[in-house]
Amino acid sequence: MSPSPTTTEPSAPGTAPQRSPRKVSTPRRFTPRSPARVHNQQAKSRRRTLALLVLPSVVLLLLINAYPLVYAAFQSLHNGTLINTGDFVGLDNYKSVLSDPAFWEAVRFTAVFTVVAVLGSWLMGLALALVLRSDFPGRSVFKILLMLPWVVPVVVSATSWNQLLSTPQSLVPHISDMLGLGSPLFLADPTLAKITVILFEMWLNFPFMMLMISASLASVDHSVYEAARMDGASGRQQFFRITLPLIARSTYISWILMTIFIVNDFPTVYLLTGGGPESSTTTLVVLAYRAVFQNFQVGPGVAIAFLMTFTLVVISTVLYRQVRKAHV
Amino acid sequence: MSVVSDPVTRDVRRGRTRTPAPVKTRGRWWRFTFVLAFTVVALVPVGGVFFLALRPGARSQSTSSFTLENFRYVFTNGQTLQWLGNSLSVTLTTVVVSVAVGAPAGYVLSRGRGKAVSGYSLLLFVVQALPVITAVIPLFILFAKLGLVDSLLGLGIIYVGASVSVATWMMAAYMDSIPVALEQAAWIDGCSVFGAFVRIVLRNSLPGILSTAIYTFLVSWNDYLVALVFVRSQGKYTLPIGLASFFQQNVVDWGQVMALAVIMLAPPVLLFTLLNKYFSIGGIGGSLAGQ
Repeated sequence: MSPSPTTTEPSAPGTAPQRSPRKVSTPRRFTPRSPARVHNQQAKSRRRTLALLVLPSVVLLLLINAYPLVYAAFQSLHNGTLINTGDFVGLDNYKSVLSDPAFWEAVRFTAVFTVVAVLGSWLMGLALALVLRSDFPGRSVFKILLMLPWVVPVVVSATSWNQLLSTPQSLVPHISDMLGLGSPLFLADPTLAKITVILFEMWLNFPFMMLMISASLASVDHSVYEAARMDGASGRQQFFRITLPLIARSTYISWILMTIFIVNDFPTVYLLTGGGPESSTTTLVVLAYRAVFQNFQVGPGVAIAFLMTFTLVVISTVLYRQVRKAHV
Repeated sequence: MSVVSDPVTRDVRRGRTRTPAPVKTRGRWWRFTFVLAFTVVALVPVGGVFFLALRPGARSQSTSSFTLENFRYVFTNGQTLQWLGNSLSVTLTTVVVSVAVGAPAGYVLSRGRGKAVSGYSLLLFVVQALPVITAVIPLFILFAKLGLVDSLLGLGIIYVGASVSVATWMMAAYMDSIPVALEQAAWIDGCSVFGAFVRIVLRNSLPGILSTAIYTFLVSWNDYLVALVFVRSQGKYTLPIGLASFFQQNVVDWGQVMALAVIMLAPPVLLFTLLNKYFSIGGIGGSLAGQ
């Protein structure tokens, strides 16, 4: 039980000779230990501090995001209500959801709504970002004004769109009447309501796309274009061969974020059309909300939300691969 | 959509590249006209809110074309002030707590290396993809047991949880731009890791903090779904729920509805206009792809 100093030496052979000089040179702050161990201890305390710094966010993520997910998985296998748990029913909720025509109608509309709104808002954002890249009068004012659709609360914009569209006396039907196109009721006709909801979603989100694309365009070096012009590249070639590839990564990222956002977006549709007329604009979120909070069928509602989440994870994984590939 | 935007991008390219230097001013004015036209059309729904709010209503005796009586009505009748107070207190609490939680977490995401950190970053990404509706139902049941349904505190907790992942990303993206050498110098001078985080990194992160604050402000001020599910009594309404219910009761009198709408859109618009130079969202993409 008395190991001499020399027996511990082999475990840290290289450090032994440095011991005594170190003792002399740093007498105050460091206890006389080998530099490796001092470093180790520092790293350990650094790790501990980092763990403490990240702890609150982990607790929140687990409590507000992970716990509900697990509980929802549990609920989707039971026939409970908001108050009691109910009995275990296996996959019955999923079966009934998947055999419901209303679900498939919502799937189709959600897919069209999402794809068109993502690509549409991206194209609008791209056009604006390209124009706003070069200088012209009032550019910085426009940059702020064009962000407003994204900044204004969706409840306010839905109210305003309603006011502009819903009745024959509203502004837009009135204008279309003056142009000799009749005065269509945008929110009462199923097809027009679908188009309106998609346009509304594009209008809400093009500023975000503009911001994302502007940020990635700002990092493109202008000398690339000069070199291309010297080599005789046309405007079209410069756009497709330089601009697009250089912003490809941020494009895929913005598509991922926007797809997630739009599929999960509840108020846009709910406030403008309520999912109608005749469920023509019912997206999956609206369907899930209705199932739980209006028909009080928690199991099927959660099952819908789960199927939606699963699809989203698949889509974002595919797009995320593209991000990796586009890494320049 | 492609019908609208395709000619635009094509013309933009033509304007920039084909025209030789002397004609460039024409491209400048062309761009100005395009953006002006787009902005005017896109802002009709926003301008309409102000226009209707300031116009006398059908029952008004006022003959002028400009009036503040809609605002007077909205403030004196109903619970507008209370809703405004509810929205403000929930939102400001959410902003402060989100930044307080997101900043240290962002620091770890920016500086930390290893499996635990990349696992954490994956967790953030997955959480972001989860639909709020999936979380809302179980949380409603949990919060009902804890007495947090129909309470502003419960609302605030959910808002913080919903915005913490993006807040962390935004803080991490900003902190990536602060050189690690600054902290290392502080460590050598005897500063602790926490001390260096507060005194070096946090003190230099004001733009990142403002960016995160603006984002969380918008998330909780504009939220409709969570408030719709969790708030039951009129006294606890936040402005979005208040406006939606006020709209349903007063479809005829647009002036009053829009006056309330102006009250609701003013804070985020003012905040964004004043602080917009600090607001950058591009960094999110960087930290997402850099995993």
